[in-house]
Amino acid sequence: MEVDNEIRSFLVENFLFGDTGVPLAGEDSLLQKGLIDSTGILEVVSFIEEKFGIAVEDNELVPENLDSISAIAKYVLRKQGVKV
Amino acid sequence: MLVHEFLACSARAKPEAIAVVQGKRRVSYEYLDRRADEIAVYLFRRGFKKGDRAGVCIDNSLEYLLAYFGILKAGGVVVPFSIQMGWRGIRKIIDDCRPTALFVQENVLQHARDAMCEGCSIADIVVVNPNERERSLSRPQTDFPSTVALRNMIGIEVGVVADWTPGVIREEDLALILYTSGTTGSPKGVMLSHRNLSSNAHSIVQYLNLTPHDKVLVVLPFFYSYGNSLLTTHVLAGGTLVIGENFVYPNLVLEQLVAEEVTGFSGVPTTFAILLHRSNIRRYQFPKVRYMTQAGGAMPPKHALELKQILPGVDIFIMYGQTEASARITFLEPGEIIRKAGSIGKAIPGVEVFIKREDGSEADVGERGELVACGSNIMEGYWNDPEGTARVLKPDGLHTGDMAWRDEESFLYVVGRKSEMIKSGAHRISPREIEEIILEVPGVHEVAVIGEKDEVLGESITAFVVIKEGAYLADKEILYYCKKNLPPFKIPKRILFSDHLPKTNSGKVKKHDLLCR
Repeated sequence: MEVDNEIRSFLVENFLFGDTGVPLAGEDSLLQKGLIDSTGILEVVSFIEEKFGIAVEDNELVPENLDSISAIAKYVLRKQGVKV
Repeated sequence: MLVHEFLACSARAKPEAIAVVQGKRRVSYEYLDRRADEIAVYLFRRGFKKGDRAGVCIDNSLEYLLAYFGILKAGGVVVPFSIQMGWRGIRKIIDDCRPTALFVQENVLQHARDAMCEGCSIADIVVVNPNERERSLSRPQTDFPSTVALRNMIGIEVGVVADWTPGVIREEDLALILYTSGTTGSPKGVMLSHRNLSSNAHSIVQYLNLTPHDKVLVVLPFFYSYGNSLLTTHVLAGGTLVIGENFVYPNLVLEQLVAEEVTGFSGVPTTFAILLHRSNIRRYQFPKVRYMTQAGGAMPPKHALELKQILPGVDIFIMYGQTEASARITFLEPGEIIRKAGSIGKAIPGVEVFIKREDGSEADVGERGELVACGSNIMEGYWNDPEGTARVLKPDGLHTGDMAWRDEESFLYVVGRKSEMIKSGAHRISPREIEEIILEVPGVHEVAVIGEKDEVLGESITAFVVIKEGAYLADKEILYYCKKNLPPFKIPKRILFSDHLPKTNSGKVKKHDLLCR
């Protein structure tokens, strides 16, 4: 949950400009919600690499890993070696 | 030739040829042409007249194409809106060019409604791909504005199409108003006639050698000039538009390039920077790709050469243009990409280009001046802005605002925007030159150079640098490299590291926003 919350805070601050009133469920597609574009995703990657000490490989830049808060959180935990 | 005649002619020549691929949808020219006729009749029966504007706020899709060609067939003027605009941006454009109809995708409908206010010009809204909630709007409503929800833009109650004939539409009539991305100020509505777009499309088809066998993968939005030119050129050629996967995930786009056996791909500098630095492009083979085009800003020569090394069998066309020129002004022959690295090439067929001094005389070889272009592709002007028009459209042509020079073989080189030139001490400095040097430093992903107010120099040079993933760089290393490769007055006073550069929706760096940091 902590990872989820960190990711959510980052997205709200950087892509929703602090507006916590915008509904953003854990499973919501960031693409379909129009939150993320091709340079925005690189900001997300930078954030999770720095915050959680992981390295995102080019072939891991896929929606399954990055297109929702819960997908990102699970991906981060897997990369950290935590069983998800 | 009128722009919608591109579609009609291609449909007559090869009705079963595939015009559009979107996911599993494969749509023929005959289908696209017939459905666009239905849209035109619908508009006509709703009182739409020749010269009326109709907004299109739809992502790249079959539906965008249907709206686009339907409006043109009805004699109207297409006004594309960026789907990321928000209600304020939509309202500004509606207030400016007063469209009477709006085609909008359902997830932007609320923004469109928020943009409507007392006295709004919009009489009809057509919602595409409606969700369950909107299905109740399956018939035109009597309240203002009338809103119709259409799944896949079919099932419009138009009556008999055969008894409708379009009014006389001429080449000089407006076809499109494209609002510029506004890197330097408020967006302006660039008015493009059928003649402007047709001459540019014919020219591009000629130098790219586009044929009905060509399939282009489109990741650039149709609602901007470059994306619009992909649409017009490939429909003119009778080729196929493959709607690309979202470029947020570049590896999916690469998969699509292979799976759809695409022959062409187009991008802006950011597109290729991402492909080169954040995708698996080096692990792929693209046997069917024969050409790639790059426009929408200056791509560093280093990236162009890297691309050429990865894709040796692919013709890479470096191109230059402006929305005000219907898209294209110059291109560099693929064979010259190494010998003339950094050049934008020469004028496209049917266009003339000059380098002009401030006094209007032509600059000598090697001398910098403003790039001026003339031809049938040059816009009719800015909508509702005669003063803005007069500033750029002069008797000798379109004053692009770009500073450039010509070499002894008449190859052109752009050095930067007139307005971006940094005035430091006694020098006028192009940020582009400094950016290209800094990009050569290993580990640098992107850079933007601006002038900042300086008490002594007037302006001093600041470089905002984005480092590649996993790289480590200190400002001293960058400054040391600059000292080795630039004259002293071009060395940045400050190097600031950033994890990203602010950009417009079309991928251009917003240098004005950097000034405010």
